[in-house]
Amino acid sequence: MLKMHSIKKVFRTDLVETHALNDFNLEVKEGEFVAVTGPSGSGKTTFLNIAGLLETFNQGQYILDNTDVSNLNDNQRSRIRNEKIGFIFQSFNLIPDLNLFDNVDVPLRYRGFNAADRKQRIEQSLERVGLQNRMQHLPSQLSGGQQQRVAIARALAGEPRFLLADEPTGNLDTKMAQSVLELLQEINQQGTTIVMVTHDGSLAAQAKRNVYVRDGKVSELHDVSDNISNVANVVNA
Amino acid sequence: MLNLTHWEIGPIFRALMRNKTGAILIAIQIAVTMTIIVNAIFIISERQKLMARDSGVDEANSFYLSSSSFGEDFNTEVTAAEDLAMIRQTPGVIDAMQINAIPMSGGGWSMSLQTKAGDDIDGTGAAVYMVDEHFLKTLDVDVIAGEPFTLTDIRLRKGSSTDWPDKTIITKSMAETLYPDEPWHSVVGKTVYINNNEPMIITGIIDQLQAPWIGWDGVERVMLSPERLEFTSYRYFIRTEVGKRDELMPQIEEMLANSNKKRLIRDVRSMQETRERSYRQHSAMITILGTVMIVLTVVTGLGIVGLASFSVNRRKKQIGTRRALGASQQAILRYFMLENFIISSAGVVLGAVLTVGLNIWLVKAFELNTLDWYLVPAGMVSLWIVGQLAVFGPAKRAAAIPPALATRTV
Repeated sequence: MLKMHSIKKVFRTDLVETHALNDFNLEVKEGEFVAVTGPSGSGKTTFLNIAGLLETFNQGQYILDNTDVSNLNDNQRSRIRNEKIGFIFQSFNLIPDLNLFDNVDVPLRYRGFNAADRKQRIEQSLERVGLQNRMQHLPSQLSGGQQQRVAIARALAGEPRFLLADEPTGNLDTKMAQSVLELLQEINQQGTTIVMVTHDGSLAAQAKRNVYVRDGKVSELHDVSDNISNVANVVNA
Repeated sequence: MLNLTHWEIGPIFRALMRNKTGAILIAIQIAVTMTIIVNAIFIISERQKLMARDSGVDEANSFYLSSSSFGEDFNTEVTAAEDLAMIRQTPGVIDAMQINAIPMSGGGWSMSLQTKAGDDIDGTGAAVYMVDEHFLKTLDVDVIAGEPFTLTDIRLRKGSSTDWPDKTIITKSMAETLYPDEPWHSVVGKTVYINNNEPMIITGIIDQLQAPWIGWDGVERVMLSPERLEFTSYRYFIRTEVGKRDELMPQIEEMLANSNKKRLIRDVRSMQETRERSYRQHSAMITILGTVMIVLTVVTGLGIVGLASFSVNRRKKQIGTRRALGASQQAILRYFMLENFIISSAGVVLGAVLTVGLNIWLVKAFELNTLDWYLVPAGMVSLWIVGQLAVFGPAKRAAAIPPALATRTV
């Protein structure tokens, strides 16, 4: 599903050059639920941005769903983000002026679905996260946990093959965090590949596989379910 | 085929309704701008139409001057005859004559002509030009029916005279006003009455000649009276060959001043200058209204730029999120252009109502004409274009926001 090979990402300013990712190698197979952990500044978010085609990289190769996405232009990247990737953000990133229906509708419009198709998908995905009765509510009228569920519904509505979650429970209390995680696990069990960036070890432990990032590299891979090292998933340069 | 799914009209409209203060202010600004601009354009076009009217004379090659005598033994008849002979013999002069008033100058004579004699009959006002048999070439007018004056038709008019010659030539416009139910060329030979009961036979019709008063609604109504003036002060109207006017104006002024020291030659003025002086208020009005239009358009444009820039800065994270969710740069550009189009549409619709309302008030208060209907849609389209041009810069900046902003703290 996702295969990164010797990815290098450097941020440059006039004075400083920061190597965010350096010789970064990772493979995520279809249907996996991978938690990416690591200390602040280790490169977790940069990895997520590159994996989600939100950012380009300086060197290396990235294969997503059997497509080499290393050298795509902006429009091609936008289309792949829209069709294949679902995003869940730490601060939900819902559009405050739109109700839940219109929020979930945003990526579907970019996809070009017709109105009837969009309506069906929106209703189904909001029902899936238990918010089918709140479609006309604004995000500000919901709790943090409910807002994150809307964000998940938005990510799922287009039926992506791959879900990227950036600290999805970072702004939630423990109870709500667990509820959101259970929802993600349920989604994963239904076949969607999930990569979740988190600094929360206990949360990461509930994923099928943990990837530990340090100094812009994958330093450890751990299959939680089998409790065995899975170094084979590291693609050596 | 156009896929309207990509045009987020509904969500944009609903979002605007939830956050409407800025949008309403801009829509009102657009409406007020449109109201003022459309009415200003209409007023300007009306003024320009007035300014473009043909006076009937060869303006580019004509000038006039006045001669005022101060000696008791000054003989106007002899002097005028000598002056005109000298002027007409001057190389470059086409023709010259005495005249009592000048088209567009603001000052002149008017009389009332009526088709029947009688003290209680309403007449039709006409500007009176007293001219001799040289009027055709001097004024550059055409007699389109009847005959021009001949030398024998011309009489001498003293300052104390109150009676009128028995012949007159009138403009086509005057003929149509006097006899609205008859073809203008059939008016030749008819008798009209001046001073209620003095008969004058219409011996000819000229195509066009304006009265001295540009603001008069009967400016095209003119009568020519075959008379030379025996006044102490009178004017000569002189027409020159093309390109000779400026050279001849000082030359003839000096020649006349030297030929008789008992009079003053003054007010030497070209017809072009007369036109400029007469329409100065109109020109000033056009300049003022034009400036107001430009300033208002710029201010409105800047207002749209300001609102759009503020909106982009406030929604950076949202734009990054939209990009992350699959919006292309064109989609973001389209979003802001469309948002502005919706705001502008509300503004121009309100503006159309206000424009017509203001015009109705202007028609009642200042007797202006009714607005040309096409100016309203033209104004709407113009303001739409101004809006789209103004929002394009901020929209381009919005489109350049990277999708990675979705995961960053802004």
